[in-house]
Amino acid sequence: MAKQIHFNKASEMPDVSTSLGDMDWNKTGAWRTQRPFYEDKTPPCSVACPVGNDIAGFIQKIAQGDVEGAWNLVKEENPFPGVCGRVCFHPCESKCNRGRYDEPISIHGLERFVSDFASSLGRKIKKGSGARKEKVAVIGSGPAGLSCAYHLTRLHYEVTVFESSSFTGGMLRIGIPSYRLPKEVLDREISEIETLGVEIRTGIPLGEDLGLDDLRDYQAVFIATGAHRSRGLHIPGEKGRAVLSGLDLLRQINLGKHVRLGDKIAIIGGGNTAIDVARSVIRLGKRATLLYRRSREEMPAFEDEVMEALEEGVKIRYLVNPIRIGQIDGLKRLECLRMELGEKDESGRRRPVPIAGSNFFIEADSVVIAAGEEIEVSFLPRGMERRDGLVLTERDGSTGVKGIFAGGDLTSSQRTVAHAIGSGKKAALAIDCYLRGKDSEEAIRQILIGEGPAISIFRYLHPDERPRSPHVVTFEELNMDYFEPSKRRREPRNPIKKRIRGFGEVTSTFPEGIALEEAERCFSCGRCNECENCYVFCPDASILKREGIFSRQVDYDFCKGCGICFFECPRGAISLQEEAR
Amino acid sequence: MRKTEIPVSENLGRGHLACAGCGAAVGMRLTLKALGEKTVMVFPASCWSIIPGFWPYSSLRIPVVHAGFVTGGSTASGVRAALDIRGDHEALVAVWAGDGGTFDIGIQALSGAAERNEDFIYICNDNEGYMNTGTQRSSATPLFAWTTTTPVTRPNENPKKDMMAIMADHHIPYAATATIAYPEDLLRKMEKAKRIRGTRFIHLLSPCPPGWRIPSERTIQVSRLAVRCRVFPLYEIENGISYTIQEQSRAVPVKEYLKLQGRFSHLTDQEIDRIQERVDDEWQHLLRKARC
Repeated sequence: MAKQIHFNKASEMPDVSTSLGDMDWNKTGAWRTQRPFYEDKTPPCSVACPVGNDIAGFIQKIAQGDVEGAWNLVKEENPFPGVCGRVCFHPCESKCNRGRYDEPISIHGLERFVSDFASSLGRKIKKGSGARKEKVAVIGSGPAGLSCAYHLTRLHYEVTVFESSSFTGGMLRIGIPSYRLPKEVLDREISEIETLGVEIRTGIPLGEDLGLDDLRDYQAVFIATGAHRSRGLHIPGEKGRAVLSGLDLLRQINLGKHVRLGDKIAIIGGGNTAIDVARSVIRLGKRATLLYRRSREEMPAFEDEVMEALEEGVKIRYLVNPIRIGQIDGLKRLECLRMELGEKDESGRRRPVPIAGSNFFIEADSVVIAAGEEIEVSFLPRGMERRDGLVLTERDGSTGVKGIFAGGDLTSSQRTVAHAIGSGKKAALAIDCYLRGKDSEEAIRQILIGEGPAISIFRYLHPDERPRSPHVVTFEELNMDYFEPSKRRREPRNPIKKRIRGFGEVTSTFPEGIALEEAERCFSCGRCNECENCYVFCPDASILKREGIFSRQVDYDFCKGCGICFFECPRGAISLQEEAR
Repeated sequence: MRKTEIPVSENLGRGHLACAGCGAAVGMRLTLKALGEKTVMVFPASCWSIIPGFWPYSSLRIPVVHAGFVTGGSTASGVRAALDIRGDHEALVAVWAGDGGTFDIGIQALSGAAERNEDFIYICNDNEGYMNTGTQRSSATPLFAWTTTTPVTRPNENPKKDMMAIMADHHIPYAATATIAYPEDLLRKMEKAKRIRGTRFIHLLSPCPPGWRIPSERTIQVSRLAVRCRVFPLYEIENGISYTIQEQSRAVPVKEYLKLQGRFSHLTDQEIDRIQERVDDEWQHLLRKARC
């Protein structure tokens, strides 16, 4: 009864002063000077993810016990959760707000769990429908190429992937040892991409059997041939016998080929390839020593892997630079200089400076050079600009040649699986825009995660989804009163002795119960997960439940703007702004 | 964090006249969710004499009897008797009084009713002063707190009266403390009280943004800190002797509670230390009672 009551005469009044109506006519919303409103924001983890995974989204699904829903959500952005959950360097975790409170969420562990658990349920991806008439060719079946092909198929294009070698997966297969990424996991995720409708043709190298002229049937081409040429050291003796390139050695080991190596192996380099080589040869029963010209701090290899390598018996000698590879009595003899750290160089790391006259010798049966990889340029079409050993592209992956896009290691010095997957995804979006005659810059801007650079294809496909502010939620915006300190769950790890006996996986996937506990630690920064605090604490009963993209709504007729809902929201999913009057 | 489940029924309507961020409004809304619509409430003079709205309106969806300041206990006794005479033993009678109407002005009527073990729930909505009339001191006002009658030049030298101990000594079947930051605890205690016959006493701490000089959005936080700092421990007393404490995992220094409130902004470090000592002593005292 939202109306006021009038008595015309005293006789109309009740004998006892009894109330006759409610107060709904009294719109207390008029008192308000500040207005709370529901506004989903961007969690820091997903901004840090080069793939653009909806991390808080899928973790909340796990916490609700909906692992299949989590898998669906992950697969919206990333065809390789099983791969990424194992080998990604998880920059998301270093930005996790929980790290400021106790320890970051094991995001990689949960991503891996989702992939493995879904496959154990026999969860299969649905075949896409090639409704659009344009065809797209993808050169290279590494993470960038397959990510592009996957997303293009989801955008209803017919996609063919051309792979020069006889196997798929690119660097994921030849560059990453199976103790980090079992081949079954890779095979499983590639076969899901094929199930979706992507055709992969192996054994067709670009340049030899396949010229760009042969691709006239395709309206767009994405080139992601990677960086597979080992960089040399340019020192005397590096071309000699028993001197191997790190990548070549890894390729042989990873493809299960027999390798001939001596007992004592010296590995030159400090990157991930060097560490992978060292840990692989340890598993072949050899002794491995890494020679790195700077110190541990400057090492580009990921910290966790350096640690595991040391545990497994890899020796690392820092501040050592080989200048000549000689031979003595069937042994390799490396002449080295001791180094010291000087001023910072353009990479921001301290430059190694040789100490004059510090020459000394290291002996080894075999020498492996793992000093980085370069791109192959010979087969690239004319008109594609290159600089500093990379193919130059626009932000959307387009090259100087119309209809040709490029991505992955070919175009970026950030050579991680996640960056490759992200660049393939962005190119898929750009190719869609190109073929539809749309402005890709504008399309990218619409679906950036936070301020970018990662994008959300899910939001491209579902523009009506709940809007999300680009504001990245800080730790200070969360209400820690609602969270009890808890330990980060760690994936079970095989004992060292067992690890070095073979190429079995070092860690194992979270059991379901542990994954659920870990998922429950997530703050769900900026993302309402219907904890009900706003509803429970509203003094004015002005939080209404409703159906729709927001399950709650503020009743502005009565909300007095006290701000309790804003302050008590544990995750910063409610904003408060001054009332414009 | 776990989702908080509370009943969806609303017996407090909108358009009421509580200040923005009113702790007593949160308290009433939660309380009525637990007590349900078959409840008659007696309001001796307090904030809640004003909040429901003015005649001929009421934002409450239950019958309310407004009563004189002194008469919470006696009016409720009469309402109970009248209902019983009419054969309505199902309807619940509850008193909602302020700390003034409980600790000071209404203590005689309450004590009399408790001594007779009258069958009602007495809820003391404690905002630690006469807030409705502009923040005067009551015997529930804490040590050293500012009010208009205990200005900074003449601070309140008397510690808060231990109302729970007084009620326990009446040997009533159930007495409990509760506060709005712990809604599940509050609902559980109200529901438990509802199932018991005889006089039940709920001491409900409700922070008051204007009276305590806190921003309106901090009401719940201050309520939570009152418990975490052990200024207002959550506990139950059955039959006046059996104590159960709802202990909190995180105890924080009382300073964290005091520094949020303008009514304590004048405190010296020594005064804060004295408050902390008192809080610690009272906590030990409570623990001893709970152990024996």
